[in-house]
Amino acid sequence: MANFKKFWIPILFIILAIFPPFFLSQYWLHVMIISLFYVMMASSWNLIAGFTGQVSFAHAAFSGVGAYVSGMLAVNLGLSPWLGILIGSAVAALLGLGLGYLCIRMGGIYLSLTTLGFSEILRIIITNEDKWTRGTMGLQVPGFFAEYSKVSNYFLFLIVAILFLIIIYRIIHSEMGLSFRAVLNDELAASSSGINTVRVRVLAFTISSAMAGMAGGLYGHYLMLITPDIPSLGQMFLVLAMAVIGGMGSFVGPIVGSFALEILSEYIRIYGEYHVLLFGLVALGVARFAPEGMMGILNRRWRGRGLS
Amino acid sequence: MEGKGALVSRRIIEAKGLTKSFGGLTAVRNVDFHLEEGEIIGLIGPNGAGKTTLFNLVSGVLRYDEGTLLFNGVSLASLKSFEICRLGIGRTFQIVRPFLKMTCLENILVGMIGRQNKKDSQKEKKEEAKGYLKFVGLESREAILANDLTLIEKKRLEMARALATQPRVLLLDEVLAGLNPSEILQALELIEVIRTRFKMTIFWIEHVMGAIMKASDRIIVLDQGEKIKEGKPEEIANDSKVIEAYLGESDA
Repeated sequence: MANFKKFWIPILFIILAIFPPFFLSQYWLHVMIISLFYVMMASSWNLIAGFTGQVSFAHAAFSGVGAYVSGMLAVNLGLSPWLGILIGSAVAALLGLGLGYLCIRMGGIYLSLTTLGFSEILRIIITNEDKWTRGTMGLQVPGFFAEYSKVSNYFLFLIVAILFLIIIYRIIHSEMGLSFRAVLNDELAASSSGINTVRVRVLAFTISSAMAGMAGGLYGHYLMLITPDIPSLGQMFLVLAMAVIGGMGSFVGPIVGSFALEILSEYIRIYGEYHVLLFGLVALGVARFAPEGMMGILNRRWRGRGLS
Repeated sequence: MEGKGALVSRRIIEAKGLTKSFGGLTAVRNVDFHLEEGEIIGLIGPNGAGKTTLFNLVSGVLRYDEGTLLFNGVSLASLKSFEICRLGIGRTFQIVRPFLKMTCLENILVGMIGRQNKKDSQKEKKEEAKGYLKFVGLESREAILANDLTLIEKKRLEMARALATQPRVLLLDEVLAGLNPSEILQALELIEVIRTRFKMTIFWIEHVMGAIMKASDRIIVLDQGEKIKEGKPEEIANDSKVIEAYLGESDA
């Protein structure tokens, strides 16, 4: 039974994920691609926020780093986006390492404020250095494929998202994941039990920043336009809402949250940007009344049924 | 030291002139002490005497301002608490700190991460972790969140987690507080087994006088940050300075 859950359920979902391009309209295929982008973002953010307790507001900023580094390399040096996203991801990882070190002595709200500051500084630089970034006009960049195709992009996003999820799954089920959770539970006790808490925190920051950088690069080259909206706080709060509503600290939560909120936001888009406000309010409510999110509620249901 | 014959006792921890201040308050002042391998040493003193601060200095939670502190001849001055733990000093906390949102088994597994002699397979690790849970009588609690344990169980879990780091010296901060007499007896047995079976040196803080007097080889008494007395339990019990520190003089 345990094997069934661990192995066959993911395989089932992967097989199901192959079919959408064959029956979905171009519009809904686009929604699926964006959802996969959010799966990468919310799941990698969950790795630092949900598993080590570092509620970073710089995650969207790191995706911006990945996107802009790759985009500028493509525009100025004609570098292939395939190579660009790797470099962008590496730069994001490096900045993540630096910011992670800066935040070592901080917890809770102080860390959040510092990362928020970092995020805003980056957005202001990007907006103002329009010689390089084209500012709010956006940077027009080449796509991944010679011939523009949503189907190819869908499979690219699907493969990278699965890759990320495998890495995250393996991390949280390894000794590293155990030490992540120990740090989240009680940093002092973890340190006194032989866990190098500084290393754990910085490592988590670096890995998740690298993932955000890669996701941002993919997103930019898919849309073929990179704007300061990618590293914006609006984007950050959307990712946060997805992880929180789905269920922080659970593997499946952010995946469910990403699809649910992205698809929902397509339906309520007609009411303008209010969907971010709505998600913010729902996320607040969830954080207050069901801190384990949708997955927490579902798990309790299942367990409850199992008992009776 | 007499009666030990060929066995040469060795100082596993040696502290000289240990001092720690918080602002204007000196919590530990110029304290000398040593622990010999295999000993059970009690640390007592009235509230605010600096006992837990001394533990925090030895386990690296706090840095001392002055003095020297050696573990097996290695200075602990610049080491972080995880490095001190890996060297071989394990501890429990006065106010228990298990990882509340992790299962009991996971709590123990965390303690095993930083060790030198790593087991290869996941299965072996789990088996060993279960062994520690069994040792403290929590084998039936394996899959339960630490948060759902009773206080006494949490204390045992914390002790098992400390044991899982395979320390040479175990610091126990008021493990008996809140236990009833029969539980105290069980706990004392456990401590004695830890010493004989795991060959550990035990340094413990306790307010339950009967227990600490009975189970310790040697006792150190702190008062207002200073060491006022050190000796065998019966010497301590009859010492006028110690009695004064506990009962207090009339306010002059």
